[in-house]
Amino acid sequence: MKRLLLLTTDPIDEPALVAARQMGAGMGAAISFSGVVRGSEAGAPISAIAYEAFGAMAEHQFHQLFDQLAARWPTVESLRLVHRLGVVKVNEASLWVEVVAPHRGEAFAACQWLIDEMKRVVPIWKKPVPNEPVGRAVSPPARDEF
Amino acid sequence: MRVTVHLWSYFRDLAGTARLEIELPVGSSIAQLLDAVYRVQPKLAGLRKSTLIAVGVDYQRADYPLQPGDEVSLFPPVQGG
Repeated sequence: MKRLLLLTTDPIDEPALVAARQMGAGMGAAISFSGVVRGSEAGAPISAIAYEAFGAMAEHQFHQLFDQLAARWPTVESLRLVHRLGVVKVNEASLWVEVVAPHRGEAFAACQWLIDEMKRVVPIWKKPVPNEPVGRAVSPPARDEF
Repeated sequence: MRVTVHLWSYFRDLAGTARLEIELPVGSSIAQLLDAVYRVQPKLAGLRKSTLIAVGVDYQRADYPLQPGDEVSLFPPVQGG
């Protein structure tokens, strides 16, 4: 199984990822999932989520999950996963996953399983960034800053 | 023996530090390490039941026998995605 794992502070460029997709002639399903930051957390409005990872362990755990996925769904040809770290604004993607397989059944099942397992074992944490107060006064720069 | 403990996410914020150096008797387990950590960082003790534990990059259980120089990470439930 081909695999790509990327933990990055850069925005997820989904069109570029889709354009780079490679599928063998026997593959009939390419499904992708984008996890996008919502505008509220626990009922309170937020402007972003700050993601933190224990990077070495996160990569190790992801690759263990990829190995397990390949064993459970041996027909999956390709798996790509990108996870944002750092501050991700509302409406931006924090996660992108793509599974390529011969049929949709195993592609959907593998993708669902991978995301569920990620949320159980991969050491990534999030901290909501509250909205700035609306109408807050902004002080003009001091004279000697001009 | 000396063991390094790394704290992640809000465990680090509660403790006010990302790293602890803990001296333990040779042959100590993770459970004994946690007891020692909570003596110096009592704010973390109330989170024991939800604490996830790794040695290096692999999860381990409380009865895992530690070795000198082990790097142990303590952190809350993960929240990726």
